[in-house]
Amino acid sequence: MAEPEIVAFVCNWCAYAGADYAGVSRIQYPTNVRLVRVMCSGRVEPSFILKAFEEGADGVLVGGCHEADCHYISGNLKARDQVESTKKLLTLLGLGADRLRIKWINANEGEVFASEIADFSKALKKLGPNPLAKAKKTAAAPPIDADEIMKRTDAYLCVECGKCTASCPVSRRDSEFSPRATVEQSLEKLHGELETSQQLWDCLTCRTCEERCPYNVRFSEFIRDSRVEALDLGLDGCPTQSGQMYSWMRMMAADGLTQERTSWLQGLKTKPKATAKSDVMFFVGCLPHFDVSHGHISPSSLDIARNSVAILNAAGITPVVLPDERCCGHDLLFAGDPARFEALAKKNAELFKAAGVKRIVVSCPEGYQTLASEYPKVVKGWDIDVMHISELLADRIDAGKLSFGNEVAKTVTYQDPCRLGRYMGVYDAPRRVLEAIPGVELVEMEHSGADAICCGVSSWVSCGATAKSIQMARLAEAKATGADVLVTACPKCQIHFRCALSGKVPGDRAAVDIPIEDFTSIVAEALGLVEAAKPAKAKTRSKS
Amino acid sequence: MSESVLIIGGGVCGIQAALDLGDKGMHVYMVEKQPSIGGRMALLDKVFPTNDCSICILAPKMITCFNHPNVDVLTCSEVEGLTGKAGNFKVKVRKRARHVDETKCTGCDACTQACALAGRIPDEWNQNFSMRGAAYIPFMQAVPRVAIIDEERCLLLSKGKCKSQCIEACQRGAIDFKQKEEVVTLEVGAVIVATGLDIYDPTPVTEYGYGRFANVIHSMEYERLINASGPTGGHLKRRSDDERPKRIAYIQCVGARDVRSGHPYCCSVCCMYATKDSMLAYMHHDDTENIIFYTDLRAFGRGFDEYIRRGADEYGITYVRARPGEITEDPETKNLYVWYDDTESGGVKKMEVDMVVLSTAFVPPPGIEKLGEALGVKMDEFDFFKAQDDLLAPMDTNVPGIYIAGACTRPMDVTDAVTQGGGAADRAAQTIKEFVGKKASAKAGSGR
Repeated sequence: MAEPEIVAFVCNWCAYAGADYAGVSRIQYPTNVRLVRVMCSGRVEPSFILKAFEEGADGVLVGGCHEADCHYISGNLKARDQVESTKKLLTLLGLGADRLRIKWINANEGEVFASEIADFSKALKKLGPNPLAKAKKTAAAPPIDADEIMKRTDAYLCVECGKCTASCPVSRRDSEFSPRATVEQSLEKLHGELETSQQLWDCLTCRTCEERCPYNVRFSEFIRDSRVEALDLGLDGCPTQSGQMYSWMRMMAADGLTQERTSWLQGLKTKPKATAKSDVMFFVGCLPHFDVSHGHISPSSLDIARNSVAILNAAGITPVVLPDERCCGHDLLFAGDPARFEALAKKNAELFKAAGVKRIVVSCPEGYQTLASEYPKVVKGWDIDVMHISELLADRIDAGKLSFGNEVAKTVTYQDPCRLGRYMGVYDAPRRVLEAIPGVELVEMEHSGADAICCGVSSWVSCGATAKSIQMARLAEAKATGADVLVTACPKCQIHFRCALSGKVPGDRAAVDIPIEDFTSIVAEALGLVEAAKPAKAKTRSKS
Repeated sequence: MSESVLIIGGGVCGIQAALDLGDKGMHVYMVEKQPSIGGRMALLDKVFPTNDCSICILAPKMITCFNHPNVDVLTCSEVEGLTGKAGNFKVKVRKRARHVDETKCTGCDACTQACALAGRIPDEWNQNFSMRGAAYIPFMQAVPRVAIIDEERCLLLSKGKCKSQCIEACQRGAIDFKQKEEVVTLEVGAVIVATGLDIYDPTPVTEYGYGRFANVIHSMEYERLINASGPTGGHLKRRSDDERPKRIAYIQCVGARDVRSGHPYCCSVCCMYATKDSMLAYMHHDDTENIIFYTDLRAFGRGFDEYIRRGADEYGITYVRARPGEITEDPETKNLYVWYDDTESGGVKKMEVDMVVLSTAFVPPPGIEKLGEALGVKMDEFDFFKAQDDLLAPMDTNVPGIYIAGACTRPMDVTDAVTQGGGAADRAAQTIKEFVGKKASAKAGSGR
């Protein structure tokens, strides 16, 4: 192979100076390294590293000051943590942790820099090229004509009554944002202004407005489709974590990747059983990745996956769990990248077919909605039955085939995730299951069912002051019910709510602080599959 | 061959048709499902745009109709089947047992007071704001003013256990528990369908909290509350605390002009009656503030726009162009917050009010499609009866000899319903006349 391409993020004070020292000292080292100077290695986010791999780098080196030498006290230690977690992501993606290195290099350690590059280069040669380097690029979808969007979302039927805006959780907090005014603008042929506006990315696509619109104008779809053009213009709404999630989503859409993402199935106390070929599959979704990316906020993402499999086992099902399962594509679709969404859908469909899957059980509402409603639109001959785990459980309970042995003495309130409720109309199933658990008392929040309030963030693009205000209002509603725990069926709701509680809270913390638990964890507890789970209280970010 | 006309429905539209035909010397059967004729209008307080007392106009017509020598009124009755052709229809009518002999009862109320369940059953005629017994008279101005015994609730009829004090109380011996339902066959030459409308139940519009919040009511409930002969004697009261509301919001187009509820059509009268309701609240107490949240003001009739302007200028009604997104409740005061986007100035606002009145859609009565099937008359996608030609034959249907009138064809106000009743009467009279003519010429022919 040709010389491997290395991207090296080097800190201004030590590692860059070390590389410079190697240069002025005429020390020979492979020429295939591209240096990116940053003020501190602590600035190097996982998104930087993932982006380098996405663009075809064979290896990434992060260079910083020796421990205790950091010019910003502890930036290098942050860099070490970031690299560690990014390595986990690289393992999940099948690229391998060895393609990423971190090295402390002093300003006078030119030799160290040169030898590190030489050694890394040699190691990368052994690993072979980054499979993404030569992967065929998915061409971006062309922007959708404004008139076409208006037609397909029935925006032309709008009578500008403002029911949408008056229902919108964002509009109540941000007077700049108004679904009514946005559609009105497009009716007046000023659609172009929307593409470049921040409002395009402020929408939560939570469908509260659609649920109430007298004329069924599908505003969420209107926003979703309008984002295609914005993305074409290079505007991506500034996703959180600098878009690291989008990097891994896009990588999974590319050819050539062979992932290994089922390590979480090993070494469990209760040993959930999974298989490679069966009628029924459990779609895991982003959970292993969230465990890495959001573990500091929400440490229980993998429990959702483990509990789901254990619950299915308890229901007599040994589901397929695929090591190379791809991202469902939900976020890419909603962030204006339908081409890569389609690529993911087709890849997944092939994997499902090869495993002989006829039915897919999903615990994540977004994955459920995407597989059930969006895949049939882009995958030819899609004939797989998709159901949410709560529906499966409710059916079993109704048929008298499943009952809960353990008492769970808790008062719970339930957050209807937008995708499960307003998108898929599943309101009763999770409630029926919760109510069937002995000891559980279900109490409703002020807004529930179709009127439930969104967790404040969607597709990682609308996080900010408005989101926080929505989250506080929702958590206050949950707290006001007197419930012991807020149960949600969506891992993202859980992350966003816990995130909102992780830092400083405006006003009285006691009015909003409520433990948050996933639907599957309470069900697993009732089935005796886990020890009585102490609902993990959202903890403040640990000092590292 | 019959020279009678059957009118299905005894509301203001049917009554008009019956009077027109009766006065022409033609015989009419009027079949009314309820125990009293009068329909919706009998329950209203005032009517727009003149603010006339509704029952004051209607009651004389109800009595005239009932007592008309050419009109036979069958209450508690429903049409179940129809055979034959124009000029020769045979109509199967099921007449439910009233358990009170109409010919003996004087409407003295003795049985209703004696009933063991008196004051214990929610009174649907008062939108459940008051209680009645199992023996009751629907409302004060009911025609015929005859008691009825509620079969489903009466202890004797439903459980076989009651002292039946009503029998003792009735000095005329009118109570008859042995009365059975009857099926009668009427021979008529023409039929007029005037079955009227129902009110959309706004419970599915969860964001407005009807059924959840005590002080969110719908417009028919409001009509009974503000009505002097209604359950509160015309005093507007909040369900939560019996206090008089001083700030009332009216929300238009609830379940109407709404694809989601299945009623995309405009109900055509709500802009007017919300204005009327506001005026009435103001007339009762001129410190009442009335706010109407509308989508479009559709005041298209003669004097209508002037009425609305008068509402704004003389009665201080505030008109806000917005469909509120949501209503929330103050858990302590039970006051309501109306969240709306003021589409004229922009921005989400929240208004605190004491009461919210939902102007709900007019819908065809449930089960009306069965009548349509029995008659063979086409209905539209919403179950309104379909005219043969909306422009040129608005009273005619696909079945010759069967005519339609009033709010069973589309939502309409009293004036239009009366006009249509007259129109349908004329069309029916023409059918009868044609057949009488044929019979006469046939007779003349055979005589030769």
